[in-house]
Amino acid sequence: MSAGGYAKAGRRRRSGDVVRDIALYLIILAFFVPALWIILTSVRPNIEINARPPVWIPSKLTLDSYKILLGWPTPEGAFGLGGEIPFGDYARNSVVIALTSTFFALTFGTLVGYAFSRFTFRGRNGIFLSLMLARAVPGIALSLPLFILFARLGLSNTILGMIIIYVALNIPFTAWLMDGFFRAIPAELDEAAMIDGCSRWAAFLRVDLPLALPGVAAAGIFAFLTSWNEFALASVITRTPASRTFPPALFEFTGSFVSDWRGMCAMSVMMLIPAIIFVALVQRQLMAGLTMGAMKG
Amino acid sequence: MSEKTSISRREFLKYAGLAGGAAMTASAVAACGGATPAPEPTKAPEPTKVPEPTKAEAPTEAPPVVGKPFDGVTVRMHAISGANYDELYKIIPEWEEETGAKVEFVFKGNGFETDKRLVQDFAAGSVDYDVCWDHSSFFSQYVKAGGLEPLDDYFGEEDLADFIPRLVDAGRRDGKLWLIPRHFDISCTHYRTDLLGDSNPPETWDEFKEMAIELTDPDKGIYGTQFAGKEEALSGRFYEVQTAEGGELFDENWEPTFNSPAGVKAATMFAELYEAGAMPPGMTSFLWEDVAKNFANGTIAMYTEWFGWYSYFQDPESSQVAGKFDLARQPKGDGGIHSGWAGHHAFSITKVSENKEAAASLIKHLTGVEGNELEANLGILVARQSVWDKIIPEAETSDDPLDKKRLELALLQAKEDFKTPPLIAEWLPMSNIMYPILQKIILGDVDAQAGLDDAAEQVRDMMAKAGYYS
Amino acid sequence: MTTQTPAGSPARAGTRVGISREDKRLAVALLMPGIVVVVLVVAFPMLYSLYLSFTDYTLTNTSGYQFVGLNNYIELFKDPIFWQAFVRTVLFMALAVNLEFIIGLAIAQLMAKAVVGRGLLRTILMMPMMFAPILVGFQFKWFFNDQVGLVNNLLFSLTGKTHIIPWLVDKPLGFIAILVAEVWMSTPFMVIILEAGILSLPTEPFEAAEVDGASGWQKFRRLTLPMIMPFVYTAMAIRSLDLARAYDVVSIMTGGGPANRTELIWTYVNRLAFIGHDYAMGSAMSYVTVAVSFLFTFYLFTNVMKSRWEGAK
Repeated sequence: MSAGGYAKAGRRRRSGDVVRDIALYLIILAFFVPALWIILTSVRPNIEINARPPVWIPSKLTLDSYKILLGWPTPEGAFGLGGEIPFGDYARNSVVIALTSTFFALTFGTLVGYAFSRFTFRGRNGIFLSLMLARAVPGIALSLPLFILFARLGLSNTILGMIIIYVALNIPFTAWLMDGFFRAIPAELDEAAMIDGCSRWAAFLRVDLPLALPGVAAAGIFAFLTSWNEFALASVITRTPASRTFPPALFEFTGSFVSDWRGMCAMSVMMLIPAIIFVALVQRQLMAGLTMGAMKG
Repeated sequence: MSEKTSISRREFLKYAGLAGGAAMTASAVAACGGATPAPEPTKAPEPTKVPEPTKAEAPTEAPPVVGKPFDGVTVRMHAISGANYDELYKIIPEWEEETGAKVEFVFKGNGFETDKRLVQDFAAGSVDYDVCWDHSSFFSQYVKAGGLEPLDDYFGEEDLADFIPRLVDAGRRDGKLWLIPRHFDISCTHYRTDLLGDSNPPETWDEFKEMAIELTDPDKGIYGTQFAGKEEALSGRFYEVQTAEGGELFDENWEPTFNSPAGVKAATMFAELYEAGAMPPGMTSFLWEDVAKNFANGTIAMYTEWFGWYSYFQDPESSQVAGKFDLARQPKGDGGIHSGWAGHHAFSITKVSENKEAAASLIKHLTGVEGNELEANLGILVARQSVWDKIIPEAETSDDPLDKKRLELALLQAKEDFKTPPLIAEWLPMSNIMYPILQKIILGDVDAQAGLDDAAEQVRDMMAKAGYYS
Repeated sequence: MTTQTPAGSPARAGTRVGISREDKRLAVALLMPGIVVVVLVVAFPMLYSLYLSFTDYTLTNTSGYQFVGLNNYIELFKDPIFWQAFVRTVLFMALAVNLEFIIGLAIAQLMAKAVVGRGLLRTILMMPMMFAPILVGFQFKWFFNDQVGLVNNLLFSLTGKTHIIPWLVDKPLGFIAILVAEVWMSTPFMVIILEAGILSLPTEPFEAAEVDGASGWQKFRRLTLPMIMPFVYTAMAIRSLDLARAYDVVSIMTGGGPANRTELIWTYVNRLAFIGHDYAMGSAMSYVTVAVSFLFTFYLFTNVMKSRWEGAK
């Protein structure tokens, strides 16, 4: 059976198609405009940002916010806000925490997913549902008791603490996704490998895992983005640039009185770049994986 | 296929029960193994338990010949940051030089975030700093949580003499001093000279309301006035207006009394202004920055605002009203009192600090004359009278005629109108109850008396729970 | 040995009696790391929080609290704001998920037929997902600001008249504003999954229908829609778990206000617990809500599990 739906079912391009494509581009544009605005705000002079009547075309562009972030000397300090921003620390923390937690979440989650897919045992359904429910608990409900617990364990304001938290947050979804992917791989392949003398574990490594890599890619994107953008828990557990990640750092641009919107947008744009790169690289795998029919019921 | 594919309810409950039971026993074991589940801040982790500060550590005792008083000591600070707050910290290196100690910033953030962290730290027992930012509106919570050290032993009469008395008193509770003032802020009426023309700024809140409605000009996009419409900001504005009208938030038995006629009058004023279109319709989502922005954009005729915004409004780069406005004392109400909601930023010492003498010394330095002068030059209203005595005459020589008037007005208000919200830990929780209801009143969802009665009842419940009526 | 096992069928363990001891050990080893981490980070704190919900613990009185039994729960059942927030939250999620489904499906249809630059389009489309939710909150809060926001400014530029529409304040508008923000942020997720679904549909039925002269709409209703339902269930189930992201956005945009007009459960809990300091009550409310989302998730996932573990059609 070939896939591709009716998109490929032998149609010639008609005027209707052109209209459709235009509609598509317009919609995509609508989605892109807020993002465009963020980028634009990051390079404008402050007085224009909140002007009324509105200023659509900026009178001049300024890279001051970016310079401040990267520690380059600026002709004048950021409006009203003194102090340097430990951008390097935030970047390091975010990257280390997001990548490490993604790696471990993928590892543990894949193992759990494999166990669900290949074995039946008492309590499997219960454990599966419990894992899903763990994901349903929002950050703020968790934040204070978790903070107290981690303070006790000496994990508060540490990179390790944040990694552990994000691993826990991402395991349920990964496990669930990988469960689906592994089920799409016929058990006979395992059997065949085992008859040839492999242990089940070796069969997993040699047969199942390589076939399920697109699933790992898909889970990886979601896990990475979750860790990269998570705010509620990070703002409670991290306190100083020793472990603070980008999302709480964004919040720091808001003062009780004055907020540096331009700075916040600049940092957001910088935050976006690794995310875009990561996603662009992996999205091909992602689509391939999803269309493998593994997402189907 | 003998595989069961959907789980029956019974089986599900069984699994859920097993999972829950397992988790519960596991955590019970962990809890028993560890300390009691309740974090008790006053019995915070043993290692930082501190012996009573002995006089032997006081710098007045002659230091060893080659040593500096606090050589090798690290004083850790939990500080407010952003805007102009960080400028003061630039004088820290000279203190470090003098005393041989080092200062380490454990946390820096904006006001509300800093407060939240302090509350959480005191609750969780995770305090690992000596000096913390404090504020007259917030310190009562920390005192209640047992997190602060009384300062009377470290700051004597002479140390406090130079501060404006009302400020120092605003940091006293239960007969003890908990805060050393750094700087304060208070609000005054900002009004557009071009829009008011020959009229004088309003003397009373009744006049204020009438003028605001008159000055509203939808064709030109001008609103008569505005207020920050949410959170503690709204509660605070309401508080100061009802006080001016002669009302009180509580009576001497801590029964809420803000639903008195004075309170109702105050709340009604807000509602009537909104209904008449004299305030921007989105005001209930405005906070300090939004109202300032609006004034700077030229859309507001007059409103009450903190002195701290002055340089922003006079800067042509950021404001369209530079040079077009004047300042006046806040209106008074039926009670003959001028509104004056105010607060001051300050420093405190934590109870669990092991370096209280050093902490006190750092605070003395930061709130000293040099620090005050630095902040005064930034336009911040400082706490020391001697510095005021210096800068007011200096302001006479400035190009801006408002400079001197501004300072004199601020000082006057500090001495006579300065009023903090009730110095109780429950101020924020009660504001949390009040402001949504005040918003309802403003938006017309409920009338003032009914709304305030409801709020008073809820506040009473909260105070009862907190043990005020036993 | 080469009998075709339909994709997605449960493991052939069905033909064994129980599982071997070696397999059991492996299963345990595979499950342990994941479960331990999740229990540590989620279960312990939630149990502690459950315990606190039976006390009168407040953030400023952490040593003097007492056991009060079900008092918090009784009080919250009597609290009208809680119930309004609850209903509003359910409504919000239901509307959001359905809007995202409809819009997402429309976009997915278009994308499935697009030929040029799919990868680029997909990457751009995913941008809303790549922004931190709190940033999205700030952005839309500013967009909808009645004085200086983009929306009102746009209206001004287009019509020449000042339209001061208080998006974040008026009764239906506030709800619409936060809904727009949430839909903007999460529709891409739906698009991705649905597009994958559409692309993976077999062509034969469509070709047959074309031959029979079926119209585009008929093909859509009778073929596409039923065949992608499993994807839809999947996507909705996952979305239901992501309530957390919506919280970030709403708490920044309106904080649940004004006057409780856009109050969602989590903004209410947050204010009560962290500003009102009444952490015990906040915990009780969290639990009631978690219990309900428990049921919701249970329902959705058993459907997903059923279709997955039963085998493909």
